[in-house]
Amino acid sequence: MTYPDPLTELSQPDAAPPRRRGLGPFGLLALIGVVVIAAIFGVALVRNSQSQPESGTAPDFSMTTFDGQPVSLSGLRGKVVVLNFWASWCGPCRDEADALEAMWRDYQDDGVVVLGVAFADLDPDSVAFMNEFGITYPNGPDTGTIISKELYHITGVPETFIIDQQGQVRQFIYSVVNEQDLRETVDSLLAEGESAS
Amino acid sequence: MLAEVGLAALALAFGAATYAVIAALWGALRHREAFIISARNAALLVFPLTLGASLALLIALMTAQYQIAYVWQVTNPNTPDFYRFTALWGSQSGSLLFWNLLMSGFSFVALLINWNSNRRLMPWFIVYTMAVSAFFLGLSLLLENPFARIWIMPDGSVAQTVFIPAGAEGPSAVRLAATARGLNPLLRHFGMIIHPPLLYLGFVSFVIPFAFAMSALASGDLSTNWIKAARRWALIAWLFLSLGLLLGGRWAYDVLGWGGYWGWDPVENAAFIPWLIGTAFLHSVMIQEKRGMLKVWNMFLIIFTFSAVIFGTFATRSGLIDSVHSFAQSSIGGAMFLFWAAVTLVSVGLTLWRWNRGELRSEHGFAGLASRETLFVLNNVVFVALALAIFWGSFGAPILSELVFNTDISLGASYFTQVTAPLFAAMYILMGIAPLSAWGAGSAKRLGRAMVVPFGLTLIALLLIGIAGTRGGGALFAYGIVMLSGFVALYEIGRSGAARARATGENIVQATIALFGRNRRRYGGFIVHLGITVIGLGVIGSTLFQAETQQTLRPGEALQFQDYSMTFQGIDAGQIAEDGRFMDIANLTLARNGAQVASLRPRHDIYPSTEGQQGMTMIIPGSYSTLENDFYVLFVAGQADGSATFKVYINPLINLIWWGGLILIVGTLISAWPAESAPASVRERRRAKPTAAGVVA
Amino acid sequence: MRACNASSRRSLLILAFGLLILLVASLTQAQDGGAAITDDQVNAIARQMFCPVCENEPLDVCMTAACIRWREDIRGQLAAGRTESQIIADFVARYGERASATPLDPTLRGLSVYVPWLIAGALLLGGVGVFWRWRSTQRHVPTAPPADHPPVEAADEAAYRATLERDLKD
Repeated sequence: MTYPDPLTELSQPDAAPPRRRGLGPFGLLALIGVVVIAAIFGVALVRNSQSQPESGTAPDFSMTTFDGQPVSLSGLRGKVVVLNFWASWCGPCRDEADALEAMWRDYQDDGVVVLGVAFADLDPDSVAFMNEFGITYPNGPDTGTIISKELYHITGVPETFIIDQQGQVRQFIYSVVNEQDLRETVDSLLAEGESAS
Repeated sequence: MLAEVGLAALALAFGAATYAVIAALWGALRHREAFIISARNAALLVFPLTLGASLALLIALMTAQYQIAYVWQVTNPNTPDFYRFTALWGSQSGSLLFWNLLMSGFSFVALLINWNSNRRLMPWFIVYTMAVSAFFLGLSLLLENPFARIWIMPDGSVAQTVFIPAGAEGPSAVRLAATARGLNPLLRHFGMIIHPPLLYLGFVSFVIPFAFAMSALASGDLSTNWIKAARRWALIAWLFLSLGLLLGGRWAYDVLGWGGYWGWDPVENAAFIPWLIGTAFLHSVMIQEKRGMLKVWNMFLIIFTFSAVIFGTFATRSGLIDSVHSFAQSSIGGAMFLFWAAVTLVSVGLTLWRWNRGELRSEHGFAGLASRETLFVLNNVVFVALALAIFWGSFGAPILSELVFNTDISLGASYFTQVTAPLFAAMYILMGIAPLSAWGAGSAKRLGRAMVVPFGLTLIALLLIGIAGTRGGGALFAYGIVMLSGFVALYEIGRSGAARARATGENIVQATIALFGRNRRRYGGFIVHLGITVIGLGVIGSTLFQAETQQTLRPGEALQFQDYSMTFQGIDAGQIAEDGRFMDIANLTLARNGAQVASLRPRHDIYPSTEGQQGMTMIIPGSYSTLENDFYVLFVAGQADGSATFKVYINPLINLIWWGGLILIVGTLISAWPAESAPASVRERRRAKPTAAGVVA
Repeated sequence: MRACNASSRRSLLILAFGLLILLVASLTQAQDGGAAITDDQVNAIARQMFCPVCENEPLDVCMTAACIRWREDIRGQLAAGRTESQIIADFVARYGERASATPLDPTLRGLSVYVPWLIAGALLLGGVGVFWRWRSTQRHVPTAPPADHPPVEAADEAAYRATLERDLKD
């Protein structure tokens, strides 16, 4: 089998010699466009692959509790913070409510704060939930869903972060907390803080 | 054992693909025929090897080898055989292997079919198809290996690795079977058996026309050879993608329970974008074939079709966007992103390089404003604008908003209908005009004269629709332009049939059949247009005239909606299905104009939570379907007092979408069916002397 | 005088009775207004919002507990007489832009809605640019249609058959 001469196949109407010049404005634009779009998606990919912080400085935030008190994470420096994301419509949150409240009652004088952030919840529902379980630790709504999604990248509720006296995330608990483990972690952080001071 | 076999096959496939790329590249650059032949042989090995790996995984799934982590993840002892089979593409790593299987299959067939007719392109064709295959096989091998197994480490922890870690033991079979998870409930549906494979087929098969285009650029053979080789493959890819989209819609309608078939979800859109650009390519490539124009543009279209395919896969599988469809975040995001960027940049660069050298210049000048070229360019503008607008809404705006304004936004269906409706209208109008125009010279006057009959038919049809009770200028306009495009397709078939009948003396049926035989592509195209018209009617009806209501009924109570009356009989709670889910079924009887027509059983499928997996409730609709409309009911919730809340949709003309899909399939098949291209004399000679030349020239 | 007195007392009584009826009527009406919010009214607003927990799922079709509560909140706000746009704005203020299916922030709204039109416009300009180039190529390089593509402007039937024949040539 033979093949047609490739030259006769090149159906260039006028056999002008190939022009050699720099990239035209359109070509340049096309290349830059592709590079820019690729860069944007690269950055977006990196940002979207961020997950819950498991170490490092805990992102700071402030909110107003359901009682109208302003709270900010940086204002709690020097204390161990148990930061809990929850919602009244979430089943597993009911399972851990008592444990968190017991923690708060036992440890609030030892420099531990349990801080609740209600995620995508209606305020009256949140308050009813807190009354149902007799919750007394500070709790507030996540206005604008910023704390939970933009700062802590939670994927659902409940999720809990344990933050030490220096504002570092020390543990991330996905799903329901185990009271025993929680107490052990907090105890060791308190001991650490005492030995440091 | 199976895991080792599969792993070996996968590794060999990766090796063969990589070798084929290098050998073909060397052979093409140095003009070494032996290397090219060797590359071809290696490339032909990739498919059988990938098939071997896939079969190994399939057998592992069917025989419940739970030590393989993938099997453990997607099946459990309750999984019926049927879903064991479909579990092959039920989760990330398996579906990636399946993707590899399909892609290597296409490359295999294309290599065999096109080897002799496109020898100049084939070395580069091997480079491109095998480079893409090697990338995806590498992902399968290194990052998402479906053959990883579960091991108990010496310290008692559990690990998932491909090779046996030192001192590790296999877990007990009983424990594995007891903890195995089972297929994602969303995927346990008949539509799921067909929808992902077809979508994958549509996605991966675009690699063939893309590789031909790139081979043309790399080899310098920029004649229409690559188009002749690529266009049938492009049609086949387009057919699979269309089918994947249609079946995806059907699946959503039947299972997802939102009353519709298209939710403008980013993942759906990611599959629609390559379809739009691919459609533009299928049209615009005709201008290049007939007139030698728009060569650069066509290159860009096929590049961006394939780029959109890779982007869609990347967006779906990397967690770039959140969606009901997306796979869990996984490690392959970064790699896929780099591959997408590299493919796009290299292809665009190559095109610009050839263009710069003056090798992609148009051969013909522009003829008339009313010529088919003009209309096809407009058609391209519309399709690309649609693709970009949808891309912008699904990815561009949300991502920019997050990066620049630090605000999460998500655009809903109302945005997409608002933005795309005028563009779709323009598409149908062009679809109505372009088939009547002529290449090169066209006159507005003759075009106008040709429009008279279809236009008249459309007016008559609109009048009938108006009499039947459809109101609203917008709706009538929409129906009008969609029907016009259909009548034009029919009219053009009839007109050319009649012309041939007059010229040859055949009767009109014979003449039309003969015409279909002479140019399958053209007449298949008209049938596809007809299918798109029918789909358009269905979309307009079900979008503009969808009616819905939600009401709570006590047992024995009836809900009146349009001419339907739905009576709630009671609930069968806690039924247990064979795969372990519970069902709460609502019993309804449906009457239309007083006569009972159906009993409907919308239900809740409750998949109890198991170790490591959250429970899930699915709301499965009940529906009563006629050509005119669907009565579609969801069982929203049962109340403590025995009453229940139902959401009812009436979706007019929705079935036309599925019927239109069938017409579209037929039309595409007619278009893509291989014609005997060689003249009779040549065929005669071939038959007389079977060629022994084979592959080596 | 007495009669007058009696009649005035009666009229007072009638007036008081009338007022009572009016009061009761208006009260029941207000109460009816609260109860008469149908699921359809709620869904009509929920359709323009997104579920807070399932990504990209419209609020009206989502069946999670959170969505059911949100829809009840919409019902409550409707009963309190708030309008559709007020309710959506309230949700956006409480939960962020993601709650709405079209951003409410004017910049973001503009960004999402107008950019597609800019894109379409730019493409159309590009198309016009292509015509321009075709025209100028024709002027500078007068490539007359080649022999196998004769310009057809003859009698209709013959012209049509000629066009058709050319199209049929694959």
